[in-house]
Amino acid sequence: MSKASFPKEQMHRIKYTKLTKEQIDRKLVPAAAGPECVSEFSDVLAGKRLKIVTDNGPVLNYTFNDKNKLSVSVDGGASVESGYGALTMEQDAFFSQYGTLTREQIVFFSHMTPKTQTGYNVFIDLESNLATVFEVWFSGYKDLREVQRQIYYGYVETAGNEAPIKRHHLTNRIEGKGFHWKQDTGIETLEFFPSIVSSSFVELTRFGGELTFCGPSDYIRINDHLFIYDRTECEFSGIMTLYVMDLLSATQAGMRLGFNEKDELEYYMFRGSGEIVGQLAIFEPFNDRGEKIPLNMPGMDQKGARPVYRPFGDHPPITESEIEEAVRKSTLIFPGGEAMAGNKMGLSHYLVGLELTVRYDNGPAWDYRFDNMKKLRWRKVGDTQWHEEVYEAFQPDRGVIFFAHMHSGMKPYECVKIVLDFSNGLTSCVHSQVGSKYMANEVSYRFIFGVIEMEGMTPPKYLRHAFTDELAGRALTWNYSDTLTSMHVYSTPHSYSWTIFMENGAMGMQWSSPSRYAKIRDGLYLFSWVEEACNGGQGTILINTKTMHDCGFGFSGGKDGLRLDTMGAFARNAGSYDVKRFFGPGY
Amino acid sequence: MDFVKSLSKQNPGRRSFLWKAGAAMSAVVASAVAGVSGAKQSTDTTLQDRIGRLEDANTIRRLHQAFESRLDRGMYEDVVGMFADDAEVVFNGGLFAGKEGIRRLYCDHFNSGLTGKKIEPAPGFRLEPEQQQDIVEVALDRKAATGQFPYSMQAGTPMTGDSSLVQMARLQGEGIVKWWEGGVYHASYVKVGAGWKIKRLEYRAASKADYKPGRMYAMPIDVPAFKSVFPKNPIGPDRLV
Repeated sequence: MSKASFPKEQMHRIKYTKLTKEQIDRKLVPAAAGPECVSEFSDVLAGKRLKIVTDNGPVLNYTFNDKNKLSVSVDGGASVESGYGALTMEQDAFFSQYGTLTREQIVFFSHMTPKTQTGYNVFIDLESNLATVFEVWFSGYKDLREVQRQIYYGYVETAGNEAPIKRHHLTNRIEGKGFHWKQDTGIETLEFFPSIVSSSFVELTRFGGELTFCGPSDYIRINDHLFIYDRTECEFSGIMTLYVMDLLSATQAGMRLGFNEKDELEYYMFRGSGEIVGQLAIFEPFNDRGEKIPLNMPGMDQKGARPVYRPFGDHPPITESEIEEAVRKSTLIFPGGEAMAGNKMGLSHYLVGLELTVRYDNGPAWDYRFDNMKKLRWRKVGDTQWHEEVYEAFQPDRGVIFFAHMHSGMKPYECVKIVLDFSNGLTSCVHSQVGSKYMANEVSYRFIFGVIEMEGMTPPKYLRHAFTDELAGRALTWNYSDTLTSMHVYSTPHSYSWTIFMENGAMGMQWSSPSRYAKIRDGLYLFSWVEEACNGGQGTILINTKTMHDCGFGFSGGKDGLRLDTMGAFARNAGSYDVKRFFGPGY
Repeated sequence: MDFVKSLSKQNPGRRSFLWKAGAAMSAVVASAVAGVSGAKQSTDTTLQDRIGRLEDANTIRRLHQAFESRLDRGMYEDVVGMFADDAEVVFNGGLFAGKEGIRRLYCDHFNSGLTGKKIEPAPGFRLEPEQQQDIVEVALDRKAATGQFPYSMQAGTPMTGDSSLVQMARLQGEGIVKWWEGGVYHASYVKVGAGWKIKRLEYRAASKADYKPGRMYAMPIDVPAFKSVFPKNPIGPDRLV
């Protein structure tokens, strides 16, 4: 019996209900009693009164009746009672012959306002008296279930003392870190911060740990080791996860709010512990601490505004007939000038004049004749008729050629990206077609492995290229041109995330997709992904970690027609996460 | 080998660009040449006429300075207001006609590409001395004028392509292919009421380089000219030239 919990559909395939405002009202009724928690709530606030003053935000007057009930007045308004929960984070735990001495530094409490869709999450730094407040609400975006947030920085007003000048603030001091967390709920996640406005996460428990997903995030510095983090699963359930973490003890105390895939309310607080699994390089100037986010986006001064990549809305599924119409208007095979090909390798003439057969295990076998650097002929083994195609080929390593071409005239529209490993007589193919069971404009594909047959070469009987997890955890930046650079994090053996650099070198927008990896040889990996439930396009590249240069091909069929083009970029090593041990049947 | 010379050898057709920031020097040259062609001088009889044309020349020079300043600050709508109703602008192989066409160029195309901001010349690129002069000539009837001014600006255009990377870069306010462009404005002006408006402006690019401020080097680049016109290209010209 498998101990892993694999869902019927991964997050990007789930059709989350478009909840109405009335449905959300009803579902939020239990939230008025406060969050649930497996761990015991702290009574540190019981019997106390707090006045929290925020910059450009509300003044919150709290009275904590006990460890579960509070009343709050916002901006001097009428007091409202609600349930709440509070957790503390210790600054230090000192073990000695006299026992364990702990000192609380952070109090985090959470509550919703009854009969509203709004709540507050407050972090109080007992050492500095500073407070950071997350106001949260539903029905603030067209997908009403998506939790919205506005962050206010302020302090706890204390009689006889002047207001502190400092505030908690946005930061890049935690950019690049990765964590393994295990909550008191038993939920395990991997969480990666390769951006200052987004994060990626792998749900090891809830979704089986196969894929990486991304959500807009905030990173706030309390001090050198305490940070507040949140993410919202925009484009998915809309659930928000918010916590304070201590880098020294690798512990967290947090809150989760929203509606899951069954539309059930999740409103609970949690404690967790884990480990830092790695730290990627960051690329801002050394004097840039990330207190300002250099986004040039309109509307970012609006309440709740945050940068969100929304591929589902931007790429609605289209029908097969719409694709056919688009393909009639535009079919571009190696058109040149692609934004992702500014640093592509030169084309190879290695294949010119060769005749060979590629034979894949339990798959097709094709004869090839390469007439010149741009033209080839192919046929199924046994057929008499040759098909002529335009192709492009690169030589990314000694004795290795990577080429691609369409299978013109085929329906569904089809292409192949083929690695020829002449040193070993091996070949790998990514055989792709437009259309999947989910979307007509989404590429589906398979990896097939086999051998090269040609005069003067005896291929191996058993040896094959094979799938690999060798890249899992690594991060590489890819510079496609002067103006387009992204970072790949190969965060699981079956997925990856990419993040776009901002002008100051900070990492910005991020998204992820399922992917596959095969090893051609040491330092040479065949990597392919489809931007599922997104634009549906496929990228297939050969990553050479010796030259730190890739070569590859993009393939797509959709509203803009059919396209097969090349890509190429220079890489830099951005570090790695020690995560391989969390994947696979043995975990 | 001198880098500039080596570039010139690689690109024999490219005119080099020599930038001199001395606006005062240029102004002296310009004042000296304003309305001084021999043929015109023969009919230019009164001192008052000559003074009037010099005043017009200075007004036009200030108009051009305001034009550059507004471009520099991204005040594209204000830039459009400096043109006559039937004005036209020639930029990168395209002619933008009338207020709507000019608004499309500045408010849509320039705005999206952050084009027009003054930047220093790319290292190794020079304009010929005669190209760096401010020249203003005012017609004898003082209703029209022509001008020539050097420019050195950042140019840009949104990246093409529909990949998610490009989309995301655009979304976060980037996704702009930027380059440096140096050359000479060739302009004509028309008096409208008591003031002057730009009647025609042509960007005659001498050099384009893959340069952004802060870099120590640059290489010449080819920037594709407009290939399609409005409305097929929503930010395209009214016709190709």
